[in-house]
Amino acid sequence: MKKSTLLLFFLQLILVFPLSAQSDNPDFFRSIGKIYVVVAVIMAVFLGILLFLIYLDRKVTKLENQIKENE
Amino acid sequence: MRKFWWKYLGAAILVYVILAGMLIPLKPGVLEISPSTAQAAQTMTFTVEGYNTNYDKASSSIRAWLRSDDDHGLTASEITVVDYNTLNVTFNIPKWLPYESKVKYFSLILDNEIDGASVLPSAVSLTQEVPNLARAKALWPQGNIKDLHTNEVISFPYRNILYETIRNLYFHVSLWLAMMILFIVSVFYSIKYLRTFNKDFDDKALALTSSGLMFGILGLITGSIWAKHTWGTYWTWQEIKLNMTAVAMLIYAAYFILRSSMEDSERKSRISSVYNIFAFAALIPLLYVIPRLTSSLHPGNGGNPTFGSEDLDNTMRMVFYPAVIGFTLLGLWISTLIYRIEKIKDKLYDRV
Repeated sequence: MKKSTLLLFFLQLILVFPLSAQSDNPDFFRSIGKIYVVVAVIMAVFLGILLFLIYLDRKVTKLENQIKENE
Repeated sequence: MRKFWWKYLGAAILVYVILAGMLIPLKPGVLEISPSTAQAAQTMTFTVEGYNTNYDKASSSIRAWLRSDDDHGLTASEITVVDYNTLNVTFNIPKWLPYESKVKYFSLILDNEIDGASVLPSAVSLTQEVPNLARAKALWPQGNIKDLHTNEVISFPYRNILYETIRNLYFHVSLWLAMMILFIVSVFYSIKYLRTFNKDFDDKALALTSSGLMFGILGLITGSIWAKHTWGTYWTWQEIKLNMTAVAMLIYAAYFILRSSMEDSERKSRISSVYNIFAFAALIPLLYVIPRLTSSLHPGNGGNPTFGSEDLDNTMRMVFYPAVIGFTLLGLWISTLIYRIEKIKDKLYDRV
């Protein structure tokens, strides 16, 4: 799998996950005192940091390739 | 390993924040009352739905009142417990209400020895035929709502509409404060660069701005999810704070575009350092001044300081302040990674 498709996949998770869960059951996010809103927010933070790590990973890989070329 | 203790401290604090933030329960409260309208001069039985309550265990001590804005209270004539979170409350509503107007909202106040007191604001609207203030005052005694119990269990405040999402304070607001701290340190390094022209300082400023912007964008996303389920929309252009933060994030995004648009390393460092200082100067009024000048859905805006005792109680502070420190340390950790990558780049491309 290409890294860009992986990125897109995670982006979709962040953006679509709250939407799709809602369309299945309009009251899902409002059940049990709206606790799933908190879960969605924590997931968004976690996935956001994960995305940023993937971006850093790509940066390091680029540098590694550069060093290899120089040798 | 000893040198990087603060990284592990940051991670440990975030684990504490997630555990405490998710496991501490909400205070008992009142979710709903039905029906929500009634006529004066009739006996009416309402069904009350509670949240996190123990009505079955505290059935002997439950008391209920309908309360007007100026503390006139009507005591319930009969209360029957259906189960742990459902009650049937009966009121003998007098012919006259303690108001001159025909229709008025009354709050519901419930009290029992286990859960303590809870309020449902504007619970029931009552309608009267002919107002008679003098006779109503005798039927609605003032100051009869007393000897209320308090809940001693460690818990977060119960707020209608917010409910459990009050926990988002630790995962949304703390991101913004962490972003602010990272941006402040970043500006400090930009100024330092302009005084010394040492490339290290510019690399540090770049690293801190990157992780700060990441927190800012995450703050926008988490705020948007929260808004959808409390305000009813992902984004509203009427809300000044959303627009101003979006503008601030765009200003900071331009910092990276500016950097990538220049080839010459020294020129890039100088111009972006100056830009960073101006971006920060724009950030303060955009986030902290303009939203307070007008009305806003965010608590604490429209003239008030951001954290009043109404919005943040001591239990929440015990989680909120560590959350800010934890996210700041995580941001610094990520910044050091970017800084090290930049250092390797400098060495590789012979930039000084």
